[in-house]
Amino acid sequence: MSIMARTKGYPEALEKKLRDQRYYREDSNPDFLKNVKTISRTIAHMCYQCGTCTGSCPSAPRSSYRIRNFMRRAVLGLENEALTDPDLWLCTTCYSCTDRCPRDIAPTDVIMAMRNLAFKRDIVPVNFLKTVQAIYSSGHGVPNNDVNRAAREKLGLTRDPPTTHMYPEYVKGIQKILDHYKLKANADRIVKEREG
Amino acid sequence: MSESESNFKFAFYLGCIAPNRYPGCESAAIKTCKKLGIELLPLKGASCCPAPGAFGSIDLNVWYAMAARNLVLAEQMKMDIALLCNGCYKSIWEVNHKLKHNQDLRDGVNEVLKEIDMEYKGTINVYHIAELLYNPKYVGPEKVRDSITNPLTGARIAVHYGCHLTKPHKDREFEDEVMLNTEHPVWMEDLVAALGATPVEYRNKMQCCGAGGGVRGYDLVHSLDITNEKLINLKEVGVDALTDICPFCQLQFDRGQIEIQEKFGVSYNLPVLHYCELLGLAQGMSPQELGLDLHGISCEPFLQKVL
Repeated sequence: MSIMARTKGYPEALEKKLRDQRYYREDSNPDFLKNVKTISRTIAHMCYQCGTCTGSCPSAPRSSYRIRNFMRRAVLGLENEALTDPDLWLCTTCYSCTDRCPRDIAPTDVIMAMRNLAFKRDIVPVNFLKTVQAIYSSGHGVPNNDVNRAAREKLGLTRDPPTTHMYPEYVKGIQKILDHYKLKANADRIVKEREG
Repeated sequence: MSESESNFKFAFYLGCIAPNRYPGCESAAIKTCKKLGIELLPLKGASCCPAPGAFGSIDLNVWYAMAARNLVLAEQMKMDIALLCNGCYKSIWEVNHKLKHNQDLRDGVNEVLKEIDMEYKGTINVYHIAELLYNPKYVGPEKVRDSITNPLTGARIAVHYGCHLTKPHKDREFEDEVMLNTEHPVWMEDLVAALGATPVEYRNKMQCCGAGGGVRGYDLVHSLDITNEKLINLKEVGVDALTDICPFCQLQFDRGQIEIQEKFGVSYNLPVLHYCELLGLAQGMSPQELGLDLHGISCEPFLQKVL
Protein backbone atom coordinates (compact mmCIF):
# COMPACT_ATOMS: atom_id res chain seq x y z
CA MET A 1 0.00 0.00 0.00
CA SER A 2 2.83 2.39 0.87
CA ILE A 3 4.39 1.88 -2.55
CA MET A 4 1.06 2.53 -4.22
CA ALA A 5 0.66 5.73 -2.26
CA ARG A 6 4.11 6.97 -3.17
CA THR A 7 3.61 6.45 -6.88
CA LYS A 8 1.06 9.26 -6.86
CA GLY A 9 3.72 11.88 -6.23
CA TYR A 10 7.02 10.89 -7.84
CA PRO A 11 9.63 13.61 -7.67
CA GLU A 12 10.26 15.00 -11.11
CA ALA A 13 13.65 13.33 -11.49
CA LEU A 14 12.22 9.90 -10.65
CA GLU A 15 9.30 10.50 -12.98
CA LYS A 16 11.76 11.23 -15.77
CA LYS A 17 13.89 8.21 -14.96
CA LEU A 18 10.91 5.87 -15.00
CA ARG A 19 9.70 7.43 -18.19
CA ASP A 20 13.06 6.79 -19.80
CA GLN A 21 12.87 3.20 -18.62
CA ARG A 22 9.40 2.65 -19.94
CA TYR A 23 9.80 4.27 -23.33
CA TYR A 24 13.02 2.59 -24.23
CA ARG A 25 12.45 2.22 -27.95
CA GLU A 26 13.44 4.96 -30.34
CA ASP A 27 10.15 4.75 -32.18
CA SER A 28 7.97 5.08 -29.13
CA ASN A 29 5.92 8.19 -28.47
CA PRO A 30 4.64 8.68 -24.90
CA ASP A 31 1.93 11.04 -26.16
CA PHE A 32 0.36 8.15 -28.07
CA LEU A 33 -0.99 6.54 -24.88
CA LYS A 34 -2.19 9.94 -23.68
CA ASN A 35 -4.04 10.60 -26.94
CA VAL A 36 -5.54 7.11 -27.02
CA LYS A 37 -6.83 7.59 -23.48
CA THR A 38 -8.28 11.02 -24.19
CA ILE A 39 -10.16 9.89 -27.30
CA SER A 40 -11.25 6.48 -26.02
CA ARG A 41 -12.14 7.65 -22.49
CA THR A 42 -10.90 4.32 -21.18
CA ILE A 43 -8.03 3.43 -18.81
CA ALA A 44 -5.79 1.87 -21.46
CA HIS A 45 -2.67 2.10 -19.25
CA MET A 46 -4.18 -0.43 -16.80
CA CYS A 47 -3.71 -3.35 -19.23
CA TYR A 48 -1.68 -6.19 -17.73
CA GLN A 49 -1.59 -8.27 -20.91
CA CYS A 50 -3.67 -11.22 -19.72
CA GLY A 51 -4.98 -11.86 -23.24
CA THR A 52 -8.65 -12.27 -22.33
CA CYS A 53 -9.39 -9.76 -25.11
CA THR A 54 -7.66 -11.78 -27.84
CA GLY A 55 -9.25 -14.96 -26.47
CA SER A 56 -12.69 -13.38 -26.85
CA CYS A 57 -12.11 -11.88 -30.29
CA PRO A 58 -13.99 -13.32 -33.32
CA SER A 59 -11.40 -11.82 -35.66
CA ALA A 60 -8.38 -13.39 -33.96
CA PRO A 61 -8.85 -17.04 -35.08
CA ARG A 62 -8.99 -16.05 -38.75
CA SER A 63 -6.28 -13.41 -39.03
CA SER A 64 -3.10 -12.05 -37.49
CA TYR A 65 -5.14 -9.40 -35.65
CA ARG A 66 -4.36 -9.51 -31.93
CA ILE A 67 -6.13 -6.95 -29.81
CA ARG A 68 -3.73 -7.63 -26.93
CA ASN A 69 -0.87 -6.57 -29.19
CA PHE A 70 -2.59 -3.23 -29.87
CA MET A 71 -3.11 -2.75 -26.12
CA ARG A 72 0.64 -3.29 -25.60
CA ARG A 73 1.46 -0.85 -28.36
CA ALA A 74 -0.74 1.74 -26.66
CA VAL A 75 1.07 1.32 -23.34
CA LEU A 76 4.51 1.37 -24.96
CA GLY A 77 3.67 4.32 -27.18
CA LEU A 78 4.38 2.43 -30.39
CA GLU A 79 2.33 4.78 -32.49
CA ASN A 80 3.65 4.11 -35.99
CA GLU A 81 3.57 0.37 -35.51
CA ALA A 82 -0.06 0.48 -34.34
CA LEU A 83 -1.46 2.97 -36.83
CA THR A 84 0.16 1.49 -39.93
CA ASP A 85 -0.86 -2.10 -39.15
CA PRO A 86 -3.68 -3.10 -41.55
CA ASP A 87 -5.05 -5.41 -38.82
CA LEU A 88 -6.26 -2.27 -37.02
CA TRP A 89 -9.30 -2.38 -39.31
CA LEU A 90 -10.31 -6.00 -38.55
CA CYS A 91 -12.12 -5.24 -35.27
CA THR A 92 -15.85 -5.80 -35.75
CA THR A 93 -16.49 -3.75 -32.57
CA CYS A 94 -18.41 -6.66 -30.99
CA TYR A 95 -17.28 -5.52 -27.52
CA SER A 96 -16.74 -9.09 -26.27
CA CYS A 97 -13.24 -8.09 -25.08
CA THR A 98 -14.69 -5.05 -23.33
CA ASP A 99 -17.31 -7.15 -21.57
CA ARG A 100 -14.71 -9.61 -20.33
CA CYS A 101 -11.70 -7.39 -19.55
CA PRO A 102 -10.76 -8.05 -15.90
CA ARG A 103 -9.21 -4.57 -15.69
CA ASP A 104 -12.42 -2.83 -16.79
CA ILE A 105 -10.71 -1.41 -19.84
CA ALA A 106 -12.61 -1.03 -23.10
CA PRO A 107 -10.10 -2.41 -25.66
CA THR A 108 -12.70 -1.88 -28.41
CA ASP A 109 -12.66 1.83 -27.68
CA VAL A 110 -8.86 1.80 -27.74
CA ILE A 111 -9.09 0.45 -31.30
CA MET A 112 -11.63 3.13 -32.21
CA ALA A 113 -9.31 5.81 -30.81
CA MET A 114 -6.37 4.42 -32.80
CA ARG A 115 -8.50 4.47 -35.95
CA ASN A 116 -9.36 8.12 -35.26
CA LEU A 117 -5.63 8.88 -34.92
CA ALA A 118 -4.87 6.91 -38.10
CA PHE A 119 -7.47 8.90 -40.03
CA LYS A 120 -5.68 12.12 -39.03
CA ARG A 121 -2.73 10.76 -41.00
CA ASP A 122 -4.94 9.77 -43.96
CA ILE A 123 -4.63 6.10 -43.01
CA VAL A 124 -8.16 4.77 -43.58
CA PRO A 125 -9.75 2.13 -45.82
CA VAL A 126 -11.77 3.65 -48.65
CA ASN A 127 -15.06 1.96 -47.68
CA PHE A 128 -15.25 4.12 -44.55
CA LEU A 129 -14.96 7.25 -46.67
CA LYS A 130 -17.63 6.08 -49.13
CA THR A 131 -20.10 5.87 -46.24
CA VAL A 132 -19.27 9.50 -45.42
CA GLN A 133 -19.87 10.51 -49.03
CA ALA A 134 -23.21 8.66 -49.15
CA ILE A 135 -24.43 10.33 -45.97
CA TYR A 136 -23.28 13.73 -47.19
CA SER A 137 -25.38 13.47 -50.33
CA SER A 138 -28.50 11.68 -49.01
CA GLY A 139 -28.36 11.51 -45.21
CA HIS A 140 -28.23 7.71 -45.43
CA GLY A 141 -25.24 5.37 -45.39
CA VAL A 142 -27.33 2.76 -47.22
CA PRO A 143 -29.63 4.82 -49.49
CA ASN A 144 -32.96 3.86 -51.05
CA ASN A 145 -33.26 2.56 -54.64
CA ASP A 146 -36.02 2.02 -57.20
CA VAL A 147 -36.52 -1.70 -56.53
CA ASN A 148 -36.95 -0.94 -52.84
CA ARG A 149 -39.28 2.02 -53.56
CA ALA A 150 -41.62 -0.31 -55.44
CA ALA A 151 -41.44 -2.87 -52.63
CA ARG A 152 -42.23 -0.21 -50.02
CA GLU A 153 -45.26 0.90 -52.01
CA LYS A 154 -46.56 -2.69 -52.13
CA LEU A 155 -46.25 -2.87 -48.34
CA GLY A 156 -48.36 0.26 -47.94
CA LEU A 157 -45.35 2.36 -46.97
CA THR A 158 -44.34 5.67 -48.54
CA ARG A 159 -41.97 5.18 -51.51
CA ASP A 160 -39.29 7.02 -49.57
CA PRO A 161 -39.08 6.64 -45.78
CA PRO A 162 -39.97 9.75 -43.72
CA THR A 163 -36.27 10.43 -43.16
CA THR A 164 -33.97 12.76 -45.09
CA HIS A 165 -35.13 10.76 -48.12
CA MET A 166 -38.66 12.19 -47.93
CA TYR A 167 -37.52 15.51 -46.45
CA PRO A 168 -34.30 16.36 -48.31
CA GLU A 169 -34.39 19.88 -46.83
CA TYR A 170 -32.82 18.29 -43.73
CA VAL A 171 -29.72 17.18 -45.68
CA LYS A 172 -28.31 20.73 -45.55
CA GLY A 173 -27.98 20.52 -41.75
CA ILE A 174 -26.10 17.24 -42.05
CA GLN A 175 -23.76 18.75 -44.63
CA LYS A 176 -23.06 21.66 -42.29
CA ILE A 177 -22.10 19.28 -39.47
CA LEU A 178 -19.80 17.25 -41.74
CA ASP A 179 -18.28 20.44 -43.20
CA HIS A 180 -17.64 21.78 -39.70
CA TYR A 181 -15.22 18.88 -39.26
CA LYS A 182 -14.01 19.11 -42.90
CA LEU A 183 -14.94 15.46 -43.15
CA LYS A 184 -16.39 15.52 -46.66
CA ALA A 185 -13.45 17.51 -48.07
CA ASN A 186 -10.96 15.08 -46.51
CA ALA A 187 -12.93 12.05 -47.67
CA ASP A 188 -13.12 13.38 -51.24
CA ARG A 189 -9.42 14.20 -51.28
CA ILE A 190 -8.32 10.78 -49.98
CA VAL A 191 -10.69 8.84 -52.28
CA LYS A 192 -9.39 10.85 -55.25
CA GLU A 193 -5.77 10.17 -54.30
CA ARG A 194 -6.46 6.44 -54.07
CA GLU A 195 -8.76 5.99 -57.03
CA GLY A 196 -7.75 8.86 -59.29
CA MET B 1 -57.08 -6.46 -27.86
CA SER B 2 -58.56 -3.53 -29.71
CA GLU B 3 -56.20 -1.91 -32.16
CA SER B 4 -57.31 1.60 -31.35
CA GLU B 5 -55.97 1.96 -27.82
CA SER B 6 -52.37 3.12 -27.80
CA ASN B 7 -50.89 3.35 -24.36
CA PHE B 8 -47.48 4.48 -25.50
CA LYS B 9 -46.23 6.71 -28.29
CA PHE B 10 -42.69 6.79 -29.59
CA ALA B 11 -40.80 8.60 -32.33
CA PHE B 12 -39.84 5.71 -34.62
CA TYR B 13 -36.21 6.02 -35.62
CA LEU B 14 -35.74 3.96 -38.80
CA GLY B 15 -32.04 3.98 -39.59
CA CYS B 16 -30.93 2.89 -43.08
CA ILE B 17 -31.08 -0.85 -43.67
CA ALA B 18 -34.61 -1.49 -42.40
CA PRO B 19 -36.36 1.13 -44.58
CA ASN B 20 -33.99 0.84 -47.56
CA ARG B 21 -33.28 -2.93 -47.72
CA TYR B 22 -35.83 -4.76 -45.51
CA PRO B 23 -38.90 -2.50 -45.54
CA GLY B 24 -40.91 -5.46 -44.21
CA CYS B 25 -39.17 -4.91 -40.86
CA GLU B 26 -40.43 -1.33 -40.82
CA SER B 27 -44.06 -2.15 -41.63
CA ALA B 28 -44.02 -5.21 -39.35
CA ALA B 29 -42.75 -3.09 -36.44
CA ILE B 30 -45.45 -0.45 -36.94
CA LYS B 31 -48.30 -2.95 -37.28
CA THR B 32 -47.29 -5.43 -34.59
CA CYS B 33 -46.55 -2.69 -32.05
CA LYS B 34 -49.91 -1.08 -32.73
CA LYS B 35 -51.63 -4.33 -31.78
CA LEU B 36 -49.66 -4.25 -28.54
CA GLY B 37 -50.63 -0.70 -27.62
CA ILE B 38 -47.51 1.06 -28.91
CA GLU B 39 -47.85 3.70 -31.58
CA LEU B 40 -44.73 4.40 -33.64
CA LEU B 41 -44.75 7.87 -35.18
CA PRO B 42 -42.47 9.04 -38.00
CA LEU B 43 -39.31 10.91 -36.95
CA LYS B 44 -39.23 13.37 -39.82
CA GLY B 45 -35.85 14.25 -41.27
CA ALA B 46 -33.87 11.61 -39.38
CA SER B 47 -30.66 10.45 -41.05
CA CYS B 48 -28.26 7.52 -40.71
CA CYS B 49 -27.57 7.07 -36.98
CA PRO B 50 -24.62 7.43 -38.20
CA ALA B 51 -23.07 3.98 -38.64
CA PRO B 52 -21.03 3.52 -35.42
CA GLY B 53 -18.33 1.47 -37.15
CA ALA B 54 -17.78 3.73 -40.12
CA PHE B 55 -18.21 7.12 -38.44
CA GLY B 56 -16.88 6.23 -35.01
CA SER B 57 -13.70 4.90 -36.61
CA ILE B 58 -13.06 8.10 -38.54
CA ASP B 59 -13.88 10.79 -35.99
CA LEU B 60 -15.87 10.16 -32.81
CA ASN B 61 -16.74 13.86 -32.54
CA VAL B 62 -18.62 13.71 -35.84
CA TRP B 63 -20.39 10.57 -34.63
CA TYR B 64 -21.53 12.39 -31.48
CA ALA B 65 -22.77 15.44 -33.40
CA MET B 66 -24.59 13.50 -36.11
CA ALA B 67 -26.35 11.22 -33.61
CA ALA B 68 -27.21 14.27 -31.49
CA ARG B 69 -28.99 15.84 -34.48
CA ASN B 70 -31.28 12.79 -34.65
CA LEU B 71 -31.86 12.99 -30.90
CA VAL B 72 -32.78 16.68 -31.13
CA LEU B 73 -35.45 15.89 -33.75
CA ALA B 74 -37.12 13.61 -31.19
CA GLU B 75 -36.62 16.17 -28.42
CA GLN B 76 -38.50 18.65 -30.58
CA MET B 77 -41.36 16.12 -30.83
CA LYS B 78 -41.15 15.71 -27.02
CA MET B 79 -41.08 11.97 -27.53
CA ASP B 80 -38.85 9.07 -26.58
CA ILE B 81 -37.27 7.16 -29.46
CA ALA B 82 -38.01 3.53 -30.33
CA LEU B 83 -35.81 1.77 -32.88
CA LEU B 84 -35.29 -1.71 -34.28
CA CYS B 85 -31.57 -1.99 -35.06
CA ASN B 86 -28.66 -2.75 -32.73
CA GLY B 87 -26.27 -0.52 -34.67
CA CYS B 88 -28.69 2.38 -34.40
CA TYR B 89 -29.08 1.58 -30.69
CA LYS B 90 -25.35 1.96 -30.20
CA SER B 91 -25.30 5.36 -31.89
CA ILE B 92 -28.56 6.83 -30.66
CA TRP B 93 -28.75 5.34 -27.15
CA GLU B 94 -25.06 5.54 -26.39
CA VAL B 95 -24.54 9.09 -27.64
CA ASN B 96 -27.64 10.18 -25.69
CA HIS B 97 -26.19 8.52 -22.61
CA LYS B 98 -22.70 10.01 -23.12
CA LEU B 99 -24.04 13.50 -23.73
CA LYS B 100 -26.30 13.35 -20.68
CA HIS B 101 -23.36 12.42 -18.45
CA ASN B 102 -20.43 14.35 -19.94
CA GLN B 103 -20.71 18.11 -19.97
CA ASP B 104 -17.58 18.53 -22.12
CA LEU B 105 -18.96 16.32 -24.89
CA ARG B 106 -22.31 18.06 -24.68
CA ASP B 107 -20.74 21.52 -24.97
CA GLY B 108 -18.73 20.38 -27.98
CA VAL B 109 -21.78 18.96 -29.71
CA ASN B 110 -23.93 22.00 -29.00
CA GLU B 111 -21.28 24.30 -30.43
CA VAL B 112 -21.67 22.49 -33.75
CA LEU B 113 -25.44 22.13 -33.55
CA LYS B 114 -25.71 25.90 -33.01
CA GLU B 115 -24.67 26.29 -36.66
CA ILE B 116 -27.91 24.57 -37.66
CA ASP B 117 -30.07 26.24 -34.98
CA MET B 118 -30.34 23.13 -32.84
CA GLU B 119 -29.52 22.44 -29.22
CA TYR B 120 -29.19 19.07 -27.52
CA LYS B 121 -30.99 19.23 -24.16
CA GLY B 122 -31.01 15.61 -22.97
CA THR B 123 -34.76 15.40 -22.42
CA ILE B 124 -35.63 12.06 -24.01
CA ASN B 125 -34.82 8.36 -23.67
CA VAL B 126 -34.04 5.77 -26.32
CA TYR B 127 -35.41 2.20 -26.47
CA HIS B 128 -34.96 -0.82 -28.71
CA ILE B 129 -38.29 -2.38 -29.72
CA ALA B 130 -37.07 -5.79 -28.46
CA GLU B 131 -36.56 -4.17 -25.07
CA LEU B 132 -40.09 -2.71 -25.11
CA LEU B 133 -41.56 -6.07 -26.10
CA TYR B 134 -39.73 -7.83 -23.27
CA ASN B 135 -40.48 -5.24 -20.57
CA PRO B 136 -43.94 -5.87 -18.99
CA LYS B 137 -44.15 -2.14 -18.24
CA TYR B 138 -44.69 -1.68 -21.99
CA VAL B 139 -45.62 -5.11 -23.37
CA GLY B 140 -43.96 -8.21 -21.90
CA PRO B 141 -43.93 -11.81 -23.19
CA GLU B 142 -47.40 -12.50 -21.72
CA LYS B 143 -49.03 -9.76 -23.72
CA VAL B 144 -47.07 -10.83 -26.81
CA ARG B 145 -48.50 -14.35 -26.34
CA ASP B 146 -52.03 -12.97 -25.98
CA SER B 147 -51.69 -10.99 -29.22
CA ILE B 148 -50.95 -13.91 -31.53
CA THR B 149 -53.51 -15.69 -33.68
CA ASN B 150 -51.19 -17.99 -35.60
CA PRO B 151 -48.84 -19.71 -33.14
CA LEU B 152 -45.61 -20.85 -34.79
CA THR B 153 -46.03 -24.30 -33.27
CA GLY B 154 -43.36 -26.84 -34.14
CA ALA B 155 -40.89 -24.33 -35.56
CA ARG B 156 -37.36 -24.58 -34.17
CA ILE B 157 -36.00 -21.04 -34.02
CA ALA B 158 -32.54 -19.85 -32.91
CA VAL B 159 -31.79 -16.32 -31.76
CA HIS B 160 -28.96 -14.08 -32.90
CA TYR B 161 -28.76 -11.30 -30.28
CA GLY B 162 -26.16 -9.23 -32.11
CA CYS B 163 -23.70 -7.07 -30.23
CA HIS B 164 -24.63 -3.45 -29.80
CA LEU B 165 -27.93 -3.67 -27.96
CA THR B 166 -26.42 -5.23 -24.84
CA LYS B 167 -22.66 -4.90 -25.23
CA PRO B 168 -20.69 -3.44 -23.55
CA HIS B 169 -22.95 -4.38 -20.64
CA LYS B 170 -20.92 -2.24 -18.23
CA ASP B 171 -22.27 0.86 -19.98
CA ARG B 172 -25.83 -0.29 -20.52
CA GLU B 173 -28.77 0.51 -18.23
CA PHE B 174 -31.70 -1.86 -18.70
CA GLU B 175 -34.55 -2.00 -16.22
CA ASP B 176 -34.47 -5.78 -16.29
CA GLU B 177 -31.09 -7.13 -15.22
CA VAL B 178 -31.39 -10.30 -17.29
CA MET B 179 -30.77 -8.11 -20.33
CA LEU B 180 -27.31 -7.26 -18.96
CA ASN B 181 -26.23 -10.90 -19.21
CA THR B 182 -24.12 -10.96 -22.37
CA GLU B 183 -22.54 -14.37 -21.87
CA HIS B 184 -25.68 -16.46 -22.03
CA PRO B 185 -28.88 -14.43 -22.15
CA VAL B 186 -32.25 -16.13 -22.66
CA TRP B 187 -34.70 -13.22 -22.68
CA MET B 188 -35.07 -13.28 -26.48
CA GLU B 189 -35.77 -17.03 -26.24
CA ASP B 190 -38.68 -16.13 -23.95
CA LEU B 191 -40.03 -13.85 -26.67
CA VAL B 192 -39.63 -16.61 -29.27
CA ALA B 193 -41.46 -19.09 -26.99
CA ALA B 194 -44.26 -16.52 -26.60
CA LEU B 195 -44.93 -16.98 -30.33
CA GLY B 196 -45.50 -20.71 -29.83
CA ALA B 197 -42.17 -21.66 -31.43
CA THR B 198 -39.41 -23.74 -29.86
CA PRO B 199 -36.30 -21.67 -29.07
CA VAL B 200 -33.09 -23.55 -29.83
CA GLU B 201 -29.67 -23.05 -28.20
CA TYR B 202 -26.47 -23.39 -30.21
CA ARG B 203 -22.73 -23.18 -29.73
CA ASN B 204 -21.22 -19.72 -29.28
CA LYS B 205 -24.61 -18.03 -29.56
CA MET B 206 -23.28 -14.61 -28.59
CA GLN B 207 -20.67 -14.46 -31.35
CA CYS B 208 -20.79 -11.39 -33.58
CA CYS B 209 -22.33 -11.67 -37.10
CA GLY B 210 -19.06 -10.36 -38.53
CA ALA B 211 -20.41 -7.29 -40.31
CA GLY B 212 -19.69 -4.52 -37.80
CA GLY B 213 -16.86 -2.07 -37.34
CA GLY B 214 -16.62 -1.48 -41.09
CA VAL B 215 -15.22 -5.00 -41.56
CA ARG B 216 -17.92 -6.01 -44.05
CA GLY B 217 -16.75 -3.22 -46.32
CA TYR B 218 -13.04 -3.59 -45.52
CA ASP B 219 -12.60 -7.36 -45.84
CA LEU B 220 -15.75 -9.14 -46.99
CA VAL B 221 -14.26 -12.65 -46.88
CA HIS B 222 -13.01 -12.16 -43.32
CA SER B 223 -16.41 -10.90 -42.24
CA LEU B 224 -18.25 -13.76 -44.02
CA ASP B 225 -15.95 -16.30 -42.39
CA ILE B 226 -17.23 -15.15 -38.99
CA THR B 227 -20.81 -15.47 -40.26
CA ASN B 228 -20.03 -18.89 -41.68
CA GLU B 229 -18.82 -20.11 -38.29
CA LYS B 230 -22.19 -19.16 -36.80
CA LEU B 231 -24.02 -20.88 -39.67
CA ILE B 232 -22.01 -24.07 -39.08
CA ASN B 233 -22.99 -24.00 -35.40
CA LEU B 234 -26.64 -23.43 -36.35
CA LYS B 235 -26.60 -26.27 -38.83
CA GLU B 236 -25.29 -28.58 -36.13
CA VAL B 237 -28.45 -28.18 -34.03
CA GLY B 238 -30.88 -28.01 -36.95
CA VAL B 239 -33.19 -24.98 -36.96
CA ASP B 240 -36.03 -23.85 -39.22
CA ALA B 241 -35.14 -20.17 -38.95
CA LEU B 242 -32.81 -17.70 -37.31
CA THR B 243 -34.29 -14.60 -35.74
CA ASP B 244 -32.47 -11.32 -35.14
CA ILE B 245 -33.16 -7.86 -33.77
CA CYS B 246 -30.83 -5.96 -36.07
CA PRO B 247 -31.35 -5.41 -39.82
CA PHE B 248 -27.57 -5.17 -40.35
CA CYS B 249 -27.06 -8.61 -38.78
CA GLN B 250 -30.02 -9.74 -40.89
CA LEU B 251 -28.32 -8.46 -44.05
CA GLN B 252 -25.11 -10.23 -43.08
CA PHE B 253 -26.87 -13.57 -42.46
CA ASP B 254 -29.41 -13.32 -45.30
CA ARG B 255 -27.55 -11.74 -48.23
CA GLY B 256 -24.37 -13.09 -46.63
CA GLN B 257 -25.48 -16.68 -47.25
CA ILE B 258 -25.57 -15.91 -50.98
CA GLU B 259 -22.07 -14.42 -50.79
CA ILE B 260 -20.87 -17.42 -48.74
CA GLN B 261 -22.25 -19.72 -51.44
CA GLU B 262 -20.30 -17.75 -54.07
CA LYS B 263 -17.04 -17.45 -52.15
CA PHE B 264 -16.90 -20.64 -50.05
CA GLY B 265 -19.20 -22.92 -52.08
CA VAL B 266 -21.36 -23.83 -49.07
CA SER B 267 -25.09 -23.29 -48.88
CA TYR B 268 -27.33 -23.36 -45.85
CA ASN B 269 -30.67 -21.97 -47.08
CA LEU B 270 -31.47 -20.84 -43.57
CA PRO B 271 -34.35 -18.33 -43.44
CA VAL B 272 -33.43 -15.23 -41.42
CA LEU B 273 -36.21 -13.10 -39.96
CA HIS B 274 -36.23 -10.00 -37.79
CA TYR B 275 -38.22 -10.64 -34.59
CA CYS B 276 -40.81 -8.07 -35.74
CA GLU B 277 -41.34 -10.11 -38.92
CA LEU B 278 -41.78 -13.30 -36.86
CA LEU B 279 -44.22 -11.51 -34.57
CA GLY B 280 -46.11 -10.29 -37.63
CA LEU B 281 -46.48 -13.86 -38.92
CA ALA B 282 -47.71 -15.02 -35.51
CA GLN B 283 -50.17 -12.13 -35.39
CA GLY B 284 -51.61 -13.32 -38.69
CA MET B 285 -49.90 -11.01 -41.19
CA SER B 286 -49.25 -12.60 -44.59
CA PRO B 287 -45.70 -13.12 -45.92
CA GLN B 288 -46.54 -10.56 -48.64
CA GLU B 289 -47.55 -7.97 -46.04
CA LEU B 290 -44.20 -8.58 -44.36
CA GLY B 291 -42.19 -8.32 -47.56
CA LEU B 292 -40.60 -11.71 -46.91
CA ASP B 293 -40.23 -12.15 -50.68
CA LEU B 294 -37.53 -9.45 -50.52
CA HIS B 295 -35.22 -11.67 -48.48
CA GLY B 296 -32.18 -13.12 -50.22
CA ILE B 297 -32.79 -16.58 -48.76
CA SER B 298 -36.28 -17.96 -49.38
CA CYS B 299 -38.45 -18.19 -46.28
CA GLU B 300 -40.74 -20.75 -48.01
CA PRO B 301 -39.68 -23.93 -46.17
CA PHE B 302 -40.17 -22.14 -42.85
CA LEU B 303 -43.50 -20.65 -43.95
CA GLN B 304 -44.81 -24.05 -45.00
CA LYS B 305 -44.13 -25.27 -41.49
CA VAL B 306 -45.86 -22.43 -39.65
CA LEU B 307 -48.72 -21.30 -41.92
